[in-house]
Amino acid sequence: MKPCLTRRALTAALAGGLASCQRSEPAKFAGTSPVAVLRAKNYQQDLTETILEGIRLCGLAVKDKRILLKPNLVEFDAATAINTDVAVVAAALAAFRSLGAASVTIAEGPGHRRDTLGLADEAGYWKGIRGFEDHFVDLNRDDVSPVKNFASEKQFFLPNTALGADLIVSIPKMKTHHWAGATLSMKNFFGLVPGAVYGWPKNTLHYLGIDNSIVALNRQFRRTFAIVDGIVGMEGNGPIQGKAKSAGLLVFGQDLVAVDSTCCRIMGIDPGKIGYLQQAADLGAIDPQQIHQRGENPLALRNDFELIPEFASVRLAKGG
Amino acid sequence: MALKFSVRSSDILHMAEDYLRSRLDALRSNQNPDGGWGYFPGKRSWLEPTAYALLALYGEADSPAWQKGWRLLRSWQRDDGAWQPNGHIPEPHWSTALAVTLHAVHRVHDDAFRKGVSWLLSLSGAESRPLVRLFSLVLPSPTGHDPSFRGWPWRPEATSWIEPTAHALVALKRAAPQVRDAELSRRIVLGEGMILRRRCSDGGWNYGSKSALGIDLPSYPETTALALLGLQGNRDADLTAALRHAFHLWQDSRSRWSRAWLAISLRSFGTDLPVEPSEQPVARDLVLNALEVLAAPEGGFRHFRPEGIPS
Repeated sequence: MKPCLTRRALTAALAGGLASCQRSEPAKFAGTSPVAVLRAKNYQQDLTETILEGIRLCGLAVKDKRILLKPNLVEFDAATAINTDVAVVAAALAAFRSLGAASVTIAEGPGHRRDTLGLADEAGYWKGIRGFEDHFVDLNRDDVSPVKNFASEKQFFLPNTALGADLIVSIPKMKTHHWAGATLSMKNFFGLVPGAVYGWPKNTLHYLGIDNSIVALNRQFRRTFAIVDGIVGMEGNGPIQGKAKSAGLLVFGQDLVAVDSTCCRIMGIDPGKIGYLQQAADLGAIDPQQIHQRGENPLALRNDFELIPEFASVRLAKGG
Repeated sequence: MALKFSVRSSDILHMAEDYLRSRLDALRSNQNPDGGWGYFPGKRSWLEPTAYALLALYGEADSPAWQKGWRLLRSWQRDDGAWQPNGHIPEPHWSTALAVTLHAVHRVHDDAFRKGVSWLLSLSGAESRPLVRLFSLVLPSPTGHDPSFRGWPWRPEATSWIEPTAHALVALKRAAPQVRDAELSRRIVLGEGMILRRRCSDGGWNYGSKSALGIDLPSYPETTALALLGLQGNRDADLTAALRHAFHLWQDSRSRWSRAWLAISLRSFGTDLPVEPSEQPVARDLVLNALEVLAAPEGGFRHFRPEGIPS
């Protein structure tokens, strides 16, 4: 028999109670943000053109910038869809180069696996990106510098490659997440935290609070763009043990809060009920009235992702 | 677990020599001016790659270059006995275990060594704190972990995981002949118990748990290797099936990192493995270079063995 009060529920309730005692409502974001949703049926089509179109629709300036492409590499399981597909990363590399970026680096610091290059190999990155190792930085073992006032930490260490980038392009997989509800472009920044300092997994982030850490990372890194791989995402018990879910789209934008809110609506999740989006309400647009949707209409593309029972309450109302 | 070779033994020796020479050359040529090693060439020195490089180059421990690295590593010890991960991050770190192991290998059993051991003995995962244990009595952990089996975290204030626990066990077992301390023996028993209780259903070890949300987790090659290293010398646990699983992981793995750790571990348990092909290029990853040296048949895998265990 399932207990009526679970440890997870109690912890969440305590954390929520504490947070509501400590925090005042964050100031609301006042501007508007463009977000583009483009169809992409599969990984075999010309994704470079689609990505160039997404960049154009969002008005992103790329020329002479040092670009860091941040995919989501977690673990490899051929039976499901855990990692950002290499075709999307390869296409992003080609697109940003063609737009005159000063440099384009692929960088990631997986949360569990120490062998980042081996994981990238399993996920097809060595095969799918010519000279992969020449373009790649293992953020887990990059040199680091301190930043001040990160979440409740007075000092926190982050990789120099990320701190020195002019633009961080978050390229996550569109997935549900058994702790955060959904893992998209903002949560993908967990991979910027160096394992060499904080371990595998980066357990410090759990102690700081997953939502707090996601928002702290997004406060730190503000020059951003997102390309969400929603061609095939993951539903259910994500981010690792869920099931592959075809959604057939890519989502773009500079405002990661707006991008993730749009992705949530497509996935049938109410972004207003996702903790880290609530906390980031001053950083970007959650309200659809403040999001200038370009390309496809996300409401027409709604494709409910299965949720684990603990997150049933975040389901977006029909027509929401 | 003997394997048959398809090439002559003289060829194997030749292949192994080339393989080792290229990696040792890469380590020598990528030593930083401060005496340490970065994770990658041209990067700042960190304790982890420096410790592995010094273990891999231990045959040259009398050389000025090795001694410079050794002095740098020693300089990173804090007043509380812990080592920090590099010269720029003044925080206690799991890699203290590597520094202690290196001291034991080098037979330097001075105050620095003893303070390092004491710090390791003072550290355990946050799940072992009294309040957390009390909480777990009311609402048992979904992981099913028994917090009385105290392991080691990556850094203080965090929970314990397989890898830092395995490194701490290796260090404490290496230190044991010099440190007659009941607490040391007790922590070895508890740490081994933690590892044994987190063994996955497939026979190996994941990085932390054997299951999540009621679903079995798969083991990983590198954490399986490290868990076995941490369990060396345990007379009670039957590790036959785990070693067999590790051997299959070694056979199936394409990852050089995994293969190196598995070879270190399997060879430590006396498993005969063929040498890696000599044409395998030298990696940019300096830790991998050092691990591949340590994993070679005549390499330093014995550095991770507790003294007194026969080959």
